[in-house]
Amino acid sequence: MSLFLHYLSLPYLLEGIEVTLQVTALGLGGGLILGLILAWMQLSRFWLLSAVARAYTVIFRGTPLILQMVFAYDALPHIGIKLPAIIAAGLALACNEAPFIAEMLRAGVLGVDRGQVSAGQALGMTPAVLMRRVIAPQAIRTMIPAFGNESVSALKNSSLASVIAVQELTLRSTQLASSTFDFFSIFFASGLLYLLLTGAVSLVQLFLEWLLDLDRAKKERSLADFLPWRRVALPVAIELAGKSAPKLCADPMPDNATLASPALTREERTKRAVTIARNNVAVEVKDLRKLYGPQTVLNGLDLTVRIGEVVALMGPSGSGKSTLLRCINHLENWDSGTVRVGGRRLGFRDDGRLLSPRDIANERAAVGVGMVFQQFNLFSHLTAKENVAGPLRWVHGLGRLDADRRASELLDRVGLSHRAAALPRHLSGGQQQRVAIARALAPNPSVLLLDEPTSALDPELVNEVLEVIRRLAIDDGLTMIISTHQIRFADEVADRVAFLSGGSIIEEGPAHEVLTNPSNPLTARFLSVMEADKAPEAVR
Amino acid sequence: MHKGLLGETRRASPPWRSAVLGAVVAAGFLAPLSAQAAPAGCAELQEKYPDWKGKTLVNAINPHTPGYEAIDPKDPSKYVGFDIDLGEEIGECLGFKLTYKAVTFAALLTTLASGQADIVISDIYATEERAKAGDFITYSKVFDGVLVAKGNPKKITGINTSMCGAAAAENTGFVEVPLVQALIPQCKAEGKPEPTLQLYDNNANCIQAILAGRADTYVNDVNTVDNAVKAYPDKLEKAIAVTIPYSVGIAVPKNKPKFRDAVMAAMMEIYKSGDQLALLKKWGLDPANLKEPGLLTVN
Repeated sequence: MSLFLHYLSLPYLLEGIEVTLQVTALGLGGGLILGLILAWMQLSRFWLLSAVARAYTVIFRGTPLILQMVFAYDALPHIGIKLPAIIAAGLALACNEAPFIAEMLRAGVLGVDRGQVSAGQALGMTPAVLMRRVIAPQAIRTMIPAFGNESVSALKNSSLASVIAVQELTLRSTQLASSTFDFFSIFFASGLLYLLLTGAVSLVQLFLEWLLDLDRAKKERSLADFLPWRRVALPVAIELAGKSAPKLCADPMPDNATLASPALTREERTKRAVTIARNNVAVEVKDLRKLYGPQTVLNGLDLTVRIGEVVALMGPSGSGKSTLLRCINHLENWDSGTVRVGGRRLGFRDDGRLLSPRDIANERAAVGVGMVFQQFNLFSHLTAKENVAGPLRWVHGLGRLDADRRASELLDRVGLSHRAAALPRHLSGGQQQRVAIARALAPNPSVLLLDEPTSALDPELVNEVLEVIRRLAIDDGLTMIISTHQIRFADEVADRVAFLSGGSIIEEGPAHEVLTNPSNPLTARFLSVMEADKAPEAVR
Repeated sequence: MHKGLLGETRRASPPWRSAVLGAVVAAGFLAPLSAQAAPAGCAELQEKYPDWKGKTLVNAINPHTPGYEAIDPKDPSKYVGFDIDLGEEIGECLGFKLTYKAVTFAALLTTLASGQADIVISDIYATEERAKAGDFITYSKVFDGVLVAKGNPKKITGINTSMCGAAAAENTGFVEVPLVQALIPQCKAEGKPEPTLQLYDNNANCIQAILAGRADTYVNDVNTVDNAVKAYPDKLEKAIAVTIPYSVGIAVPKNKPKFRDAVMAAMMEIYKSGDQLALLKKWGLDPANLKEPGLLTVN
């Protein structure tokens, strides 16, 4: 025991720790830089870049670190690169860590929900802004445990530098064992030293997790929660359950919601139709065709929407409603046909060539096409208010004050000013969708696309969202294209209904006429089925 | 720990227990010897070979052989042993200083060949095979000891058919490896099981293999074997000492014949002056190891 303590405090071994840390730092730092480059190459649109990165990964992940160390140390000098031993070891470790770190980064990025990306794109974020503001903040949080793992493994792997004469902890231990024959005391001591180092890494990891914990602001947790035998998730879950449930019921809908605007009378409708008919065209879709492999999704579809008009897209699942909406703001490419928004071909240059993703994003922001998704797609790491204010700052260049003022205004309008500081996951589905609508409205879009905005909601939450949309249509006169299964709602809010089947419009016309007196048998059958299913839950 | 990291306690000498195997090392320190003064002919050599005067060269060693090269248990920041002293004296003779690079035994010559070291003085046996990777200046005869567990349970009597069926621990790259492998056909011819080889990275691991009952024998330089027996007198013993047909050599790069000649000339001075014999005595090594320096080179 005294021998063990003696070696534990032996300066010779403690100095080895310094070298071990140097090699580890070089390996992790270099590995992170290389890994970022590799991950970027692998996620690139250009196949050559990703092929090179893939080849690198196969080679450096597939060969033992010990060989890479020897290579960096003994082979590189033959081509004139004679690195000091510590640098050579750091280089080999960095080259070896890079593919692992790259895969972690890639997994983190790909793990971010596709909906988050769609929402960012629809708001006009360029790929760089999207990465910095939406993907990276979410990915980094999920990657911290993996980074902790990788750091511990790099620390231990640095011991292989002993084969190339780097005087780190392991090499010093073996030399000391050879000269003193105190084999076990020395290795227990150096084992404990490694354990202290890796333990420190674990503490840093836990601290970072705590620091980036989104719920931390809500509730200051005691440090004891981070002891391994304490379940962290449990108390939070209990607290959340207790908090959100009663809130929901007590949630005040906007004051005027309760005295909801009654459906327009026949005369008002006619008057509205006449006004709209004189308006300019907002969206024009001509002969749009799109294939997914052998399957035709859009089959020569034509649609014209005038300013101030509300068009409801109806039809069975898979009829092309969502795809049509996603083509209008160019979230998806298509095979032939044209889409014009405000007279502009969104996403194409004057000569008809496709713009880069970055330029499409800028144009989307300039033309002003807002989108509301079935799954809300709120940025899950941002509060309700930031969800609205953030894109205003990042895409439209508003100052913090202006963006915050606009966000507060819009949250007030959808009746959620009291939930401004809440994270999306702490909001009910209906509340989330109302925030999503506020977010889409913030930059004053010329057209708002709503993709089944109530389909993912529990029946009792549908009304609050429909009411917000109804007011946008009737009070604000916003141009909207809504895909929906809510027949009653479509009847009350839409000026026109378009029925899609098999990727084309089979019937369209004034909402009330089409819905009450369909001429196409397919439409009639769909309506009767929907009516039968939805009747009990229909709007009011 | 912080102090250690900052290097402030570097010189603080902890209470060191009276060494177990330090016997050899201690004997070395006690023996008064003035090996430091360079032999008379050295001044002449420095004129003849001025290229390395004032330089600092790198000596690659495998510091796992107490008596030849190992870290000093009293001050682990230093290497001590016969080879270390010999290298220092060659350096003094030719006017250069040495720093040390600790590598595995198998990496000694690759380190030299890649230019990461200038010279290898590490109890390495000069063989024709190895001479393809570096030129050798031979300086010592080789006597091997056969290390076995106390009582020699397998009745091993040397590198012969008494090793059939035994497990031999060896360092990767040691010349004893092919010697043991050469026994395989002999054992087969006698209808006995083959000897098996366990390859380790350093001396300590080979000795541990016997202590742990994994290996039956470890054949290495006789002084190394004697040191192991001194460290574990209740558990180990030397079965026998054998001569093997090699010399110990200093390896230098093949593409530097002038350096080889300079080292050779310096070795000759050290040999003739009697300093080499004095060093053997200082480190408690058998004076019978003494040998006139020679060259081993192959193309």
